[in-house]
Amino acid sequence: MKTIQEIPLKQIDITDETFSVNFMPDLQRLRSSLQTVGLIQPVLLKRRERDYQIVSGFRRVWVWQELERDSISAMVFGGQEKNDLEFFLLSLEENLTTRRFNMVEKAMALQKLHRLFQVDSLEIIKTYLPLFSLEPHEKILNTFLALAEMEEEVKTYILREEVSRFNIRLFGKMGSEDRLTLIPILSHLKLGESRLREMLTLLLEISQRDGQRIKDILRRSDLQSILSQKELTPPQRTERVKKFLFCLRNPRMSEKEEAFKKKVASFHLPEGISIHPPPFFEGRGMKLAFQFRTTEEYRAVVDFLSKLGGKEEFKALIQNF
Amino acid sequence: MLPFQIERIYLDFQAENDWVTQHVLQSLPEVPVKGVGDKRGLIKNALSMADPIGEGKRNLFITRFYGKRLKPCPGTSRHICCGYFVINTVTNCPMDCSYCVLQGYLNNPFLTLYSNWDDLLQEIESFLSVDCRPFSRLGTGELSDSLALEPLFPFSQYLVPFFAQKNAILELKTKTTEVQNLLSLDHRGRTVVSWSLNPPRMIEEEEKGTALLRDRIEAARRCQEAGYPLGFHFDPMIYFEGWEKEYEEVVQLLFSRIDPKRVIWISLGGFRYPPQLKGIAEERFPQTRIFLGELFPGKDGKIRYFKEIRKEMYQKMVKTLKEVNPDLFVYLCMESPEIWKEVFGWSPQNSSHLNEFFEERIKKFIGR
Repeated sequence: MKTIQEIPLKQIDITDETFSVNFMPDLQRLRSSLQTVGLIQPVLLKRRERDYQIVSGFRRVWVWQELERDSISAMVFGGQEKNDLEFFLLSLEENLTTRRFNMVEKAMALQKLHRLFQVDSLEIIKTYLPLFSLEPHEKILNTFLALAEMEEEVKTYILREEVSRFNIRLFGKMGSEDRLTLIPILSHLKLGESRLREMLTLLLEISQRDGQRIKDILRRSDLQSILSQKELTPPQRTERVKKFLFCLRNPRMSEKEEAFKKKVASFHLPEGISIHPPPFFEGRGMKLAFQFRTTEEYRAVVDFLSKLGGKEEFKALIQNF
Repeated sequence: MLPFQIERIYLDFQAENDWVTQHVLQSLPEVPVKGVGDKRGLIKNALSMADPIGEGKRNLFITRFYGKRLKPCPGTSRHICCGYFVINTVTNCPMDCSYCVLQGYLNNPFLTLYSNWDDLLQEIESFLSVDCRPFSRLGTGELSDSLALEPLFPFSQYLVPFFAQKNAILELKTKTTEVQNLLSLDHRGRTVVSWSLNPPRMIEEEEKGTALLRDRIEAARRCQEAGYPLGFHFDPMIYFEGWEKEYEEVVQLLFSRIDPKRVIWISLGGFRYPPQLKGIAEERFPQTRIFLGELFPGKDGKIRYFKEIRKEMYQKMVKTLKEVNPDLFVYLCMESPEIWKEVFGWSPQNSSHLNEFFEERIKKFIGR
């Protein structure tokens, strides 16, 4: 059993993050706990020739330092007692018993195992993914390794918006500059999981089809003008951006939709009456919808529709379906 | 020498003594064999791999099939289908097309050969003895390629003479050149050998491991010389920049080697897929461009090119084909009556109605 020692904070190298797995830590709770009851759990340190390297307890050391304490209780390991991978695993185990890792922290830990400590991929999949409550599958490992490579802004967005693994994979298909151009735009939109998926997919597919970088699509003046319309609410802006990308992705369908809308607009339908083509113009028959509140309104609708039925342009539209 | 690689044979203990099994083992003397008692465990284990589909293509599983192996082609709902029957001799395929629906369809990823062959012939015999249609069409090319495994087991040497004695048509659909076994067989015109065709660029990009276009056509020419009726399937037709010219070049190349009078049918089918395929295929083929067209869900839930695009592709192809020979029998696969009407100016009322046209075509062809 190791004894607990008081180690001066200035002898601890807080810049060495070899064993650190922290991203956007919530220090407020820890700070308040440390202020109220003090340090309950000593940190783990590795003794080096001139100083100490933190193995586990980065957050406690940071807060302790912030609270202007001089020393901290620590369990100290000799440099030769374990190899770096063993120290890292010790750190992981210690952390996992006291807190939950967020997505980015899991990604950082897996990346360290893979890159820094050279653990074989199969071993990571089999042993370490379950340690983080992840399914032991190569696809999952690749998703997290891709996340670890992403920029701070993207990681922050992913955590804040609780982006799904599927969408993380879509971000992973983009280049760094593309992601960095995209994140500020996404932050101004109102996107749920499926909307985000839809938007990322549209961007990736337009980019692949046209051989154009996503950042260049996003810098198009017509898109920028939608984004700069201050009078739009976030949901309205989202809808416009989505429509813009849909049209870019599906020009022929959009052209057809536009032509249909124009045709219907030429009938000057009164408020409450609408005509719709079959979904994706597949199949036959259009849909007519109308609303009314009183018998008079109902009669007015019927009267309008009856007259519409006699118009040549309307008959021509029907023939197309 | 196999045109594809088999790394291992998994042999179901129950199939060990079947003569088909012995034949396959003799064809692959170098390939290690592993006995399998727990089929479910084998499949479950394979499914947990990073790319079970790719893995499955390199591993042959020999087992027995206990269910019905002859079924009506499932076709698709609310569209006109051709009333075909599917014979299940093999499931999966050693070739690897990015658009292959089997990737999302089969729950057993292995290239699987069913060794209880005698049962199958008996099942076909029973089916045909009660089938009152004059010329039912049956094919082995739905859940696999009909000829890809000929080097392992000569399916055609049993099926072709069998059908030669029946009033039914066997269609062997392929993207290979494995026709050597067919050439000397007495087929009596009851076997149609057919090829799926696409422009060379699409074959290179989207049909990994398949034969080159010119080699497919050369194989077709050899079958033509052996008197077989020929079929061609432009399915899936892929919409890409330059598609018109490249499909036209395929037609020109085809009929520079093939006599249109020896062609019993040609089908056209725009690229379509069940929704689950996209994710699987994009993961397995990150470079594929096949999903970049304007694709939308249809009435049967499958995703297809926008109607205007399909119409344009079919109209152009029908025109090109009819210019070669107006008597070519061209049909659409899994299409709506609206599209039929727009392309041909008429539409079969339903799938049975289309089937009648096939029967007439076959009678005319065989009686010639």
